[in-house]
Amino acid sequence: MKLETRHWTFLGLFVVITIVMLLPIRLSVPVSEQTQKMYDFIESLPPNSTLLISFDHEASALPEIRPVGLAIVRHAFAKGHRLIGLSLFAEGTVIGYRMMQNVAAEYGREYGKDYVYLGFKPQYIAAILSMGESIPRTFPEDYMGRPYEELELLRGVHNYDDVAAVISIADGSLTTHWMEYGAARYNLTVLAGVTAAMVTTYDPYIASGQMYTLVGGLRGAAEYESLIGREGGGSRGMLAQSTAHIYVLLLIVLGNLIYFRTRRKRGL
Amino acid sequence: MDRKLALGICFIFGVIMFAQYFSQHPMARVVNQAVLEYWQIIFAFTLLVGVASFMKSSFRKMRKPSDRPYQILGLLGLISMPVLALVWGIKAGTPFMWMFENVQAPMQATVFSLLAFFVASASFRGFRARSLQAAILLGAASIILLSRSSLGGIVSDYLPPVAEWIRNNPSMAARRAILIGIGLGSLTTSLRVILGIERTWLGGSQR
Repeated sequence: MKLETRHWTFLGLFVVITIVMLLPIRLSVPVSEQTQKMYDFIESLPPNSTLLISFDHEASALPEIRPVGLAIVRHAFAKGHRLIGLSLFAEGTVIGYRMMQNVAAEYGREYGKDYVYLGFKPQYIAAILSMGESIPRTFPEDYMGRPYEELELLRGVHNYDDVAAVISIADGSLTTHWMEYGAARYNLTVLAGVTAAMVTTYDPYIASGQMYTLVGGLRGAAEYESLIGREGGGSRGMLAQSTAHIYVLLLIVLGNLIYFRTRRKRGL
Repeated sequence: MDRKLALGICFIFGVIMFAQYFSQHPMARVVNQAVLEYWQIIFAFTLLVGVASFMKSSFRKMRKPSDRPYQILGLLGLISMPVLALVWGIKAGTPFMWMFENVQAPMQATVFSLLAFFVASASFRGFRARSLQAAILLGAASIILLSRSSLGGIVSDYLPPVAEWIRNNPSMAARRAILIGIGLGSLTTSLRVILGIERTWLGGSQR
């Protein structure tokens, strides 16, 4: 089989990332204003504050979104906050549940008292609006089928008035619905952890104050990890991503050099 | 008659849901909660319709021998995950969890990761400064790309602030214009649907 140009570019990317990942390189990432704001928000909450954390993503974005979620959940548990997990995407349900279980075990947090997982609810707009009216009516049972009122943490939680904020861990535009329906109608404070590709989508919402802040992509995760002093995959992932960015830039430069040289040869 | 009934239901619920948004009356909240619950129930049934549609489409494609193994694999995945969840549950260490963590999640992440390779190839072959506009786009993209990597500040101290400026000004202005356009479009479409002017959602002809 004859290798074409595109095969060489694929191979080059694979080789470059593999080499870089094998080297013991540590990148230092300056903390952005938005990531710092998320950290400060969780820090400033009184202990035992209740936070909603919604895993609104699919498994495909896991390598990028998992470090973001992990850093935020770790910080919240370390500060002694109580977390109510849920998912508005079917695939995020299991991922969120496992993450909360694992991190809770790291910090010795107890299910039902320090954290609860409500599971998945279909039709996100209806679910967000419905929780604004009544969380127990929207989720009569938790993920494992235990009645809502039997869980200690949930006894005082009726609607958004009883939670400090929602943190949407999302790989798409689902966080928009938290702002449009949760924040606009019920004054819910919305924060997010999103993939890098979605960061610019939310810039106008942050500028207008509709979204409090966000942690964006592997870079955001790496920044957050440096703030909480715990590795979680963001820093290593950032190394691969930075290498890929540089590789792509070099390809763009090379492509343009060839383009202009060809044009000059043709006398264009 | 059927179409008139559907249009009538749409109009009544559209007006009720619009009006209750501005009301804090207990009755309005009860109606809102009831409608939201039915909305979720109806949506759950649409998931079943999706499953039925996937099965129907898979069985149809199975007639072609070359496609048969893929369709069988797809159907096996569709059936096996709910069966595993129903029989052994979804807790850590169950077969469902094993399948999700070791088959489904890595497969999806792999497909998504392939994008990086296509982006690399496309950047080499297609991202050319063919005109002034293309050159501006190319320059802005390169600055953003470099600033999002860890090397932005190393290359130049000016790079991160320039990237921030691009994000906060031209990029955000364009994004805002798109969002406002989408908002106005949604508003007019909703009004057209509620008032029965837009009828394509009923299927068939517009009459």
